[in-house]
Amino acid sequence: MKKGIILTVIFLILTIWFIHQRETFGASPVENYKWYCAQCHGLNGKGDGPNATKEQPVTPRDHTDTKGMSKLTDADIENVIRDGGNATGKSTMMPPWGKTMTDAEIKDLVKYLRQLCKC
Amino acid sequence: MKWIKVYQKLIVVSFSMVFTGILAGTVNADVAGGQKIFEAKECGACHLTKGPNQDKTIEDKLKRKGPDLWFAGSKFKKEWLVKWLQDPKSIRQMAYNSIEKKNPGDHSKLSDKEASDVTDYLMTLTSIDVVSGTIQAKKDLMGKMVFEKKQGCYGCHLSMRGAKVAGGLTGPSLVDAGKRLQGDWIYAYLKNPQAIIPVKRMPTYAGVLNDSEMKSVAAYVASF
Repeated sequence: MKKGIILTVIFLILTIWFIHQRETFGASPVENYKWYCAQCHGLNGKGDGPNATKEQPVTPRDHTDTKGMSKLTDADIENVIRDGGNATGKSTMMPPWGKTMTDAEIKDLVKYLRQLCKC
Repeated sequence: MKWIKVYQKLIVVSFSMVFTGILAGTVNADVAGGQKIFEAKECGACHLTKGPNQDKTIEDKLKRKGPDLWFAGSKFKKEWLVKWLQDPKSIRQMAYNSIEKKNPGDHSKLSDKEASDVTDYLMTLTSIDVVSGTIQAKKDLMGKMVFEKKQGCYGCHLSMRGAKVAGGLTGPSLVDAGKRLQGDWIYAYLKNPQAIIPVKRMPTYAGVLNDSEMKSVAAYVASF
């Protein structure tokens, strides 16, 4: 009887912890990339999303460009995702995502970009 | 003599009661009729009419097949909605929730009467987070500056760039947005997107733009 109650309590705590973790950590970097970034940078990161039309003043960065991407530090990438181009001396076409994604999600995206550029 | 006057008054009162009843009945009939058409055509299979939207994750959002309408009465201009339902032209270049497929532009068309009734119904759906009378459409200079320079809104939204239509394709087109949208809705969405569209591809600008900038952008877009 006592064992049953203890097991139920442990189960409940684990369930609540699991739900809480999911909410804290948010979406996976691949999910976020495909949902937000791919609009301009393309689903494979080649800078060819549907918003990269001929008329736009700048072309989105190709995230698979090893040479170009390796010039950026993790902090550079994190800053431009969080604060956008306007705050980091780049084009304002890159919007700020700091109020959309959590810091943890942005840090995870930086790691994902490093995989895309192999750098 | 006194009795005649009372009798006359009674007649006037009962006539006005009957007339008001007929009038109210007609109005309700349009709303109720509109709702019936909405249900018969299964519009609810794609459009949410009972809000607020409870989506929490991208996964939740991806299950949706069309834009929410639970705040339609706070979002759209009535004259625009009634016309659009009869001749629906794509507002989004891409299919809903997709950045790969083009919008097939196959939204169902309604007859004049159906469009009018459905509009009457949709205009009853409102959000308490949209406060009417806050935003007046105008060619606001600060709004223009934010829209074009401080933030690149046209990165995702089509809009008029001089005499030409240009811009990105993943956001709803903002060409003639002022004919379609209420400025108060634009402001409410910018200020508190969680209350209007909790999961969206557009960045959250609350906390990036200040309140006066958000009001200016809303007024500017409402002037399109």
